[in-house]
Amino acid sequence: MLFVWREALVGLRRNLTMTLAMVITTAISLGLLGAGLLAVRTIDRTEDLYYSLIAVQVALDEPTSAEDPDCSSPLCRDLRAELEADPLVASVDYESREAAFARFQRIYAGQSILQLVRPQSLPATLRVTMADPLRGGEIVDRFTGRPGVRNVVDQRATVADLFSFLGSVRNATFGLAIVQALAAVLLISNTIQLSAFTRRTEVGIMRLVGATRWYTQVPFLIEAVVTGVVGAVLATAGLVAGKVFFLDNLLSGRLLANTIPPIGMTDVLGYVGPVLVVVGAVIATATGYVTLRLYVRS
Amino acid sequence: MIRLENVSKVYATSTRPALDDVTMDVERGEFVFLIGPSGSGKSTLLRLLLREDVPSRGTVWVANWNVGRLARRRVPRLRQRMGCVFQDFRLLPNKTVAENVAFALEVIGKPRHTIRTVVPEVLDMVDLGGKADRMPSELSGGEAQRVAIARAFVNRPLVLLADEPTGNLDPETATGIMTLLERINRTGTTVLMATHDRQIVDSARRRVVELSSGRLARDDHHGVYGVAR
Ligand SMILES: Nc1ncnc2c1ncn2[C@@H]1O[C@H](COP(=O)(O)OP(=O)(O)OP(=O)(O)O)[C@@H](O)[C@H]1O
Ligand SMILES: [Mg+2]
Repeated sequence: MLFVWREALVGLRRNLTMTLAMVITTAISLGLLGAGLLAVRTIDRTEDLYYSLIAVQVALDEPTSAEDPDCSSPLCRDLRAELEADPLVASVDYESREAAFARFQRIYAGQSILQLVRPQSLPATLRVTMADPLRGGEIVDRFTGRPGVRNVVDQRATVADLFSFLGSVRNATFGLAIVQALAAVLLISNTIQLSAFTRRTEVGIMRLVGATRWYTQVPFLIEAVVTGVVGAVLATAGLVAGKVFFLDNLLSGRLLANTIPPIGMTDVLGYVGPVLVVVGAVIATATGYVTLRLYVRS
Repeated sequence: MIRLENVSKVYATSTRPALDDVTMDVERGEFVFLIGPSGSGKSTLLRLLLREDVPSRGTVWVANWNVGRLARRRVPRLRQRMGCVFQDFRLLPNKTVAENVAFALEVIGKPRHTIRTVVPEVLDMVDLGGKADRMPSELSGGEAQRVAIARAFVNRPLVLLADEPTGNLDPETATGIMTLLERINRTGTTVLMATHDRQIVDSARRRVVELSSGRLARDDHHGVYGVAR
């Protein structure tokens, strides 16, 4: 078995520029795939984070807001009872005008917007936590325009833009990854063909001495697998670098702190890294195998 | 050991058959010269024995293998029991002399320690004990051919095929190669050697099979190269 490893090594060295090109293309492709996987993870987590916080807000009209600090008026009581009876709804909380103003003061403590807002401009609301956050629209439709209701807002709709942005980042990354993967596959296939062609006399002699087809071709396969694995390792290193030098600052910075959860080192090394190594090795092996079957005669 | 039954070979690109209804038999341990003018089909016959090609008609037997019908994946096994030597040596250019010989053993899965003891023995037999670490490009023609013979013989083949093994060598070196092949033959290995070398054939007094335009023209035990040619 030593023989095949030696041959593979010789093969990789003989064609150093091609080898580098293969490794780099593979690394970029796998790096993009890894970035896509991290994006999916982040999107899932962001969604979890938001869905536990967001609700459908049923804002009550001025008379109720002004006069009902504990939802004891018949109008408010009936609305609340109807919401609580709905199977789509997990729970309902009442927030009076005073409570809303207090929360507002807490959130924007020390900011100039506080001076502009009076309690009178905030409505009392029924905060509806959905059992199924995706179906808030049905509550909006059902309660909009009802007596005592000023308006109904599904908070999910306001964060939908964020998710669609993250989703398109993910899709673009996967798209690029596929294009790059195609380039990597073609390059690997081409290099193997070239490698096999350069060595055809040698392989012919080996076959005459009684070497099996497998024996003469395994070195080419190993070349491909080494390329795939090295590419995956480089890609993982690239992702770690990207996390440490770019994303960590971005996600903990002013703009996005508490908006998007940070990406942990375990996400990169414990999840994406191994996936990339496996994907890299499998794709390279498959490419090598198919190339040898279809294009390399012996 | 070798048996050809009504073997013909027609290459796709030519109309005249390279071998035309050849029937012959070689016993275990025999030494046979295969002679005939250029293009008479000598190399073709050897190629059929090695399963580099399949006969168009007829049956080729080597030991118990029906060579022409052998499944492709069984071909390596056949070749592992045969040795072959060519006019152009066919050594692996980026392996040393010892590695070239060792290769024939690695292919059949011999363990390292066996290889380490057997290879020097065989190299000594062909008088190349001191050149084990040379590259093929650093050898003379005669030396390269002796390496090729060592490689062919190292796993004790049933049959050794030689296609003009002395074709590129001066008469003296050629005689040396011939002596080596006769020594290998004395260990019981069947040897079939295609050659143009009149002097070697005449002095060996071995069985001579002559081909002419793909047909079997003569089969003499203790023959000479040619009578009136
Ligand atoms: N691969 C091939 N394709 C087509 N024709 C071939 C092929 N190999 C050999 N031939 C033809 O078959 C015939 C026999 O060739 P072969 O090589 O067996 O002759 P030979 O006796 O070995 O000749 P030489 O003494 O010159 O080596 C020749 O006419 C040759 O042109
Ligand atoms: Mg010939």
